[in-house]
Amino acid sequence: MKRVISLLFIAALAVLLLYVVASMPPMGDPKNPTATHVIPRYLERAEEETHTENVITGIILNYRGYDTMGEVTVIFCALAAVLAVLGRERRGKIFGFVDRSEVPSSTIVKTMVRFIVPFIILFSVYTIMHGETSPGGGFQGGAIIGGSMIIFTTIFGLYESSRRVPLRLRAALEGSAVMGFFLVGVLGLVGGGNFLTYAWPRVAGNLQPSLVVWLTVLVEIGIGLGGAMVLVSILFAMIREEEEIAPAA
Amino acid sequence: MRLLHNYHYAAAMILFCLGLHTVIVRRNIIKKLIGLNIMETSVFFFYISLGYLKEGIAPIRVGGAEPARMVNPIPQALILTGIVVAVSVTALALSMVILLYRQYGTLDVDRLMREEEKGEAVGGGEV
Amino acid sequence: MGAWRHFPILMIAIPLLGAVLLPFLGYVRENWVPYAAALPLGASSLLGLLLIGRIPSDGYLSYHMGGWEPPFGIEIRVDYAGFFVMLVVCGITMLSLLYSRRYISREVSPGRRTAYYVLFLLMSAAMIGFVATGDIFNLFVFMEILALSSYALVAITGNRNAVRAAFKYLLMGAPSSIMVLLAIGLLYSATGTLNMADLSARIAESGYTEVLTVSYILFVIGFGVKAALFPLHMWLPDAHSIAPSPISALLSGLLVEVCTFALLRITFSVFTREATALVGGTAEAVGVAAAAAVLYGGIMAILQKDLKMMIAYSTISHIGYIFLGLTAFTAEGLTGAMYHMLDHGLAKACLFLCAGNFIYVKGYRRIEDLRGAWREMPWTCFAFAVASISVIAIPPTAGFISKWYLILGNVKAGKWLYTAVLLTGSILAAVYCLRVIYYMFFQAGGEGKWEDAVRDAPPSMLVPVWLLSLGTLFFGVFSYLLIPSLLKASAYLL
Repeated sequence: MKRVISLLFIAALAVLLLYVVASMPPMGDPKNPTATHVIPRYLERAEEETHTENVITGIILNYRGYDTMGEVTVIFCALAAVLAVLGRERRGKIFGFVDRSEVPSSTIVKTMVRFIVPFIILFSVYTIMHGETSPGGGFQGGAIIGGSMIIFTTIFGLYESSRRVPLRLRAALEGSAVMGFFLVGVLGLVGGGNFLTYAWPRVAGNLQPSLVVWLTVLVEIGIGLGGAMVLVSILFAMIREEEEIAPAA
Repeated sequence: MRLLHNYHYAAAMILFCLGLHTVIVRRNIIKKLIGLNIMETSVFFFYISLGYLKEGIAPIRVGGAEPARMVNPIPQALILTGIVVAVSVTALALSMVILLYRQYGTLDVDRLMREEEKGEAVGGGEV
Repeated sequence: MGAWRHFPILMIAIPLLGAVLLPFLGYVRENWVPYAAALPLGASSLLGLLLIGRIPSDGYLSYHMGGWEPPFGIEIRVDYAGFFVMLVVCGITMLSLLYSRRYISREVSPGRRTAYYVLFLLMSAAMIGFVATGDIFNLFVFMEILALSSYALVAITGNRNAVRAAFKYLLMGAPSSIMVLLAIGLLYSATGTLNMADLSARIAESGYTEVLTVSYILFVIGFGVKAALFPLHMWLPDAHSIAPSPISALLSGLLVEVCTFALLRITFSVFTREATALVGGTAEAVGVAAAAAVLYGGIMAILQKDLKMMIAYSTISHIGYIFLGLTAFTAEGLTGAMYHMLDHGLAKACLFLCAGNFIYVKGYRRIEDLRGAWREMPWTCFAFAVASISVIAIPPTAGFISKWYLILGNVKAGKWLYTAVLLTGSILAAVYCLRVIYYMFFQAGGEGKWEDAVRDAPPSMLVPVWLLSLGTLFFGVFSYLLIPSLLKASAYLL
């Protein structure tokens, strides 16, 4: 019965939405409202105003930096929420269900993973730092680090990976994304502009482009590091088991 | 006609409706969460398609790229934030599922609802 | 240009920073965390108070983030209505935080207490940011922070029912957020901008009417779930009654109202009066749903045996009031709706915190157990009584003032049926509230349930309760302080 009601509702919604699609501006048309109103200014002047070649990075860190600050707050909030539900480990050894697996990973797998993970992390550092000039950016790099830690944890177990990324490190760096934004924001206030203006420091009264780039990179690193630590912490919280729980079959 | 020309949008809307249907109808919690993710992905797909330009190039100003031919960067910037939000919601939902499974031993929504009625008969919710 | 124009963003950023720094303190000295959490919220409230008088009632304060002018940058736009809600948020979150210290030390396990305060601060910062923003995508981002923190706070006690209620809330809330995102996408496709002021101009002259109408419908459904408008309210009774009481106070008193305010924003500041043709049909449907909400909430509240469930259903009823004020499309209706956000916030928070007192001191949740309560917990009972009078809307409380304007607004719009519904709502409220008061004061307690000596809740839990209930009286008697400005602000919005 519930299925039927839901199907009817969804069918009505689908008809409504497809009707909307038929009335929308044509896709790919350069004369769309989306392509003509605000975009030309971004595309033409982004390089001079934000000193990044990747226009998207310029938008998310500079023009619409406040949204990105909200985004890093969302990910931090997700961490706080997951920890509120699952609890943080006490200082000491932690175990996860992967540690109890009766089928240990083979030597081939372990060697390969041990070999590859450093390169993955190197790639993610590249993604973070080079986000100005190529597709990439802070959070993308952080997510790659998170992914590499998932691989590592799956193969080697939670005990090993928690030794590599200990609680102290994670707890210290989780907030770095929000802190980075706050720092830049306050610097903007100090420099006489509004919050989050890349207005400081000024040298001889002028805003040096290289310093603006440095500030942008600082924020990117903060986002990358903070995002990575948050993802790793969430991973550990979800996999972790109290030692009293009997090993599941 | 326009509907066929805007086929990206149409596909996104169909996926959205499929995802919503999955969330409503499926009994297994994990499947509901997958449906949620389908909904989210369909909306991301919709946004990115908004920026599509025929014969467009990436909005990166390197080596003589002309601004007039660049794809719209705004939806991409918005979706970066959107993906992070979706990941966060999924992470929280999954951690609640872990807790629910530990406490109730089932992933079936109907059985969870029946537990609720049993609980009500005993003495109401806690705290 | 003075320093005060930076205050709105500081009101948002300082609690955010506090939330990020709090875990460090929690690592070192967990006992200080509740006190430390009060500092950023207190600073934020102080900044808000300092802004009083600077926001004209028919204008706004505009702040360009990053120095980029809108629509190229994000704008923070504080108009009188928004500022009003910001102050309500600051006040009620502060009082709830003060109340939390003792309650949480008993109900939440030690490992999770820091997380509670972190999430609390995040939720408060997000509420202020949600109301202050002038950019529609920014609205979505803050809504998500709000949603995530509220899902977790409902589940934080770790109790089986709590996790289940929180998950049900998430299963309804997350799809609604996605719907809002889709609605924003549709708006963007038709207008090309995300700034609210710019959107209002471009919507009025845009030719894509179908897209805009459907976008509005999606907004209504999306925010309707979050604001618990009937028939999208199913998550509310469980979530609000099972959450820890200070969180129930915030959820019922602030969160649902802030989401209603968002719909107000969308309807009046984005789809302005000029777009009435687009909005009108959906607004009619919302009116019907709101009327149903008033009646449904009231009737279900009468049927409840658990105190917090009753209060939760009462919230559903009152959200209906606010929506009826919005759909009247008159200045009086809007004023009534906004003033009701104030008085419902105060009264509902007070009711939930009183319920929390009963749970904390005696462990009683059911209305049956409250017979004869006044002998042992007179302070709490009296505060409950005063807040109930506001819920029923009897003079001289603030509830009466808001209802007066709601009725006036609907009469002016010629909506007699809704006026009748509003009056019926009061009668229903009288039934469920007076029943509890009767039990508390005029019935003898069961054996061993209540002592003769007065042993009420500790001061840190009584003071917020009393401040809230006195607030309902204060804003009723002194309503002339705010009403004229609100009337002007409403006329400006329309």
